[in-house]
Formats: sequence, C-alpha cells, structure tokens
Amino acid sequence: MRAFLPLNFGTDTASWVAKGKIWNTPAGAKATRVFEIYRYDSESGRGPRLDVYHIDRGSCGPMVLDALIKIKNEIDPTLTFRRSCREGVCGSCSMSIGGRNWLACTQRIDDIEGSIRIFPLNHFPVKKDLVVDQRHVLAQHQIIQPWLKTAKPAPEGEWLQSPEDRVKLDGYYECILCFSCTGGCPSYWWNGDRYLGPAVLLQAYRWIVDSRDEATGQRLDTLEDPFRLYRCHTIMNCTKTCPKGLEPAKAIARIKAMLVARQH
Amino acid sequence: MTGTAAPTPRIPIAPHMQVYRPTLTMVMSIMHRLTGTALYAGTVVFVWWLVAVAAGRVAYETFLDVFGSVPGLVVLFGLTWAVLHHALGGIRHLIWDVGRAHTYPWREYLARANLIGSLTLSATLWVVFYPW
Ligand code: HEM
Ligand code: SF4
Ligand code: FES
Repeated sequence: MRAFLPLNFGTDTASWVAKGKIWNTPAGAKATRVFEIYRYDSESGRGPRLDVYHIDRGSCGPMVLDALIKIKNEIDPTLTFRRSCREGVCGSCSMSIGGRNWLACTQRIDDIEGSIRIFPLNHFPVKKDLVVDQRHVLAQHQIIQPWLKTAKPAPEGEWLQSPEDRVKLDGYYECILCFSCTGGCPSYWWNGDRYLGPAVLLQAYRWIVDSRDEATGQRLDTLEDPFRLYRCHTIMNCTKTCPKGLEPAKAIARIKAMLVARQH
Repeated sequence: MTGTAAPTPRIPIAPHMQVYRPTLTMVMSIMHRLTGTALYAGTVVFVWWLVAVAAGRVAYETFLDVFGSVPGLVVLFGLTWAVLHHALGGIRHLIWDVGRAHTYPWREYLARANLIGSLTLSATLWVVFYPW
C-alpha cells in the first residue's frame, strides 16, 4: 500500500497540492526513472504543485540526492532543497521519499519501485519546495536545554566520564537532528504545537543519561507534562524512519520509566 | 491601527497522513484506539446483560432476542475481538514501555502477534463455546 489517503484528503486550501508541470523524457535514455516532486514558491502567488521529472538513470548517481542535483543542474535550476555533506552526517537533506522520511543522500534510487514521490518533511510549514521552516521545532529543542548543566565548579581539564558511563550515550549521541522522526510522527501531526516530538525527546534523554550532567531532576520536571512528553503513544514510526538507525521510541519509554521510578 | 492590514500569507503545511506509507505499528495504534472506544460501547452491553439477569425472565429473554439475532451475534463477536485485541495491545505497550522489542524485526513480530493472536483467540472461543 502506498498511502492511506488521496493526496489532498482533508487539506486546507493553502496546502492543497495541484497537478504541476511534466518535464520531458530525456532523449536516448535507456532506463528512465520518474520523480514526482513537491514544488512551492511563496512569491509565485500560487499554491503547491507536484511536478514530474524524467531522469536518465544511466547518467545519474545512485542516491535520490544525486537525482535532485541532476534535476537542478540539467533540467530545472529553480528546484530548491537543502543538502551539505552528501554522506548522512549533516541532517540537511531529510525529506519524505516514497512515503517515509529518509536522507536523500543515503536513499538509493533503485530501492524504490515505480515513480518516486518526494515531499518536504511531513507537516512542517513549507518555505520553498523541499525546504521547510524549522523554527518551531528548534525552539522546542531549546526547551530541553541541550547542553551540559553542572553545579560543581568546572575541573581544570575536561569533565571526565568512565567508559561504562560513556556507553550509555551510544544510540543517542549519534542523532543528527534531521527531524525525519518528528516529521513522521502522527502525534506530532496532531499536537506538534505542544508535543515535543521524538527528535527533541531523544535529545532530552541524551542529556538525562549523561553522567556528567547534574540537572537530571530539573530535566525530568521540564518533561513531566501531558503534552510535552505524554502525547507519545508508541506508534513506532520514529524508530522505523530514523535514517541513523536510532530508537527515539526507546528513549521516550526510558524517560517515562524514570518519571515513574522517581515517584517511589 | 486603522485601514486594511495586508492579508497574512497563508503558508502551506507539507502533506503528512496523505502521503505517509502505512506502517503496521501505526495501523495497530489506530486499532488500539478504535477497540478502546468500542469497549466503551461494550460496557453498555455488559451492563444491559447484568440488569437483564437481575430483572428476571422477560427482560432476560428480550436480551437473548436482541443478541441471539444475527446482527446481535456480530456485535458480540466484534466485542470479543475488541476486548482481546485491546488487552493484547496493552501487553504490547507494556513490552515496549520497558524498552523491549524496539528493534527490527521484533517490533513487527510483536505487532503481528497482537493481530493474529486476537483473531485466533476470538475465533477459538466462539468455535468452542457457541452451540453451533
Ligand atoms: C472495558 C475495558 C477497557 C476500555 C473501555 C478501554 C478503553 C481505552 C481507551 C478509550 C483508550 C484510549 C485509546 C488511545 O488513547 O489511543 C485506551 C488506551 C489504553 N488501554 Fe484500554 N480499555 C480497556 C481495557 C484495557 C485492558 C484490559 C488493557 C491492558 C491489558 C488496556 C490497555 C490500554 C493501554 C496500554 C492504553 C494506552 C495506549 C496508548 O498509549 O495509546 N485497556 N483504553
Ligand atoms: S533520532 Fe534519527 S530521525 Fe530523529 S532527528 Fe535524530 S537522526 Fe534524525
Ligand atoms: S546532505 Fe548531509 S545528511 Fe544528506
């Protein structure tokens, strides 16, 4: 099954996606792949549309990002998207590809069958084409105070940590804040104004378990809230869609367990 | 301020449920909520049955007439499935809440076990206990 619903099911007029332009098939192409890409330009005075591009797979690199760059270079220079590292470490190029969120630079074209539908990260406000407005989610990230908080006087060298304590950060420190998980979370779709979402909660856990951090109690207080934390219903989309193979749902479960444990 | 303010541009929201490829765990979450809601209606049926037992033969026979009919039996079977599915779903949540079975493929097995378990248990109960 490709999607639950028709493309414009229940959308408001501003978000309604119209049929877009169909670009020509490349001449002499052996293996053509079809990309359907969401386009929006606030200066055009028109709403979003879905453009169709035909790509010669033979002259294109293996990843979806290669196809996007090829489109921008050879077919349509107005196509706008974020990318930087092109190797899955910067988190800029996360988007909805074939019905799940992934990094365009690590998503193989050949792993997707049929036409490849690309949208900006789900439920984010769109700035231009595949570029979304992250101000709200970044403000939410500030709520959990993503830095080391200590009361003790700073040591002369570094804040030391035993190898055993360091291991507790594995699976959490690797997060690149691409927000694939947050974009894929139905609870965030309905309550993203107040629910912090999987990416920010995984980050919160990363600081809670850090042995060097001395604000654990205060961090838990910040999260003990029906909306900030408890809108998580363990739907599991976050863990499935994390392109770094992390488990935000587990981080959230751990926070919930710590909140229960500290009552006793 | 007076005069007409410029209309605030309405910013589109990227499509979400319209384009997300359904995942099994996502469908199970929806079903947990649906069965939970169905159980609220189910408690009315249950209370009706309790009152009918207390009220005596006539009231009880009315209950039997309603729930012995084909639509009534469909409702009862549906409630059997709903309570089992929701209860197994509760166990699924408990396992995830203690941090187990988050990785692939265990989370999928857990979701499948929930669905297959509730369907087979409901069918078994009815095959065994209903006087066919
Ligand atoms: C007649 C009995 C029951 C009724 C009326 C009922 C009703 C509900 C409802 C309406 C919800 C909200 C659904 C949601 O927020 O997604 C819910 C959630 C839940 N129920 Fe039940 N339920 C019943 C029995 C059970 C049993 C027996 C269990 C466990 C074995 C259970 C475990 C849960 C859990 C874990 C949730 C939370 C799921 C989440 O976080 O989304 N329930 N229930
Ligand atoms: S947890 Fe994974 S999907 Fe979520 S922001 Fe971090 S790297 Fe991206
Ligand atoms: S370009 Fe850096 S993660 Fe894709």
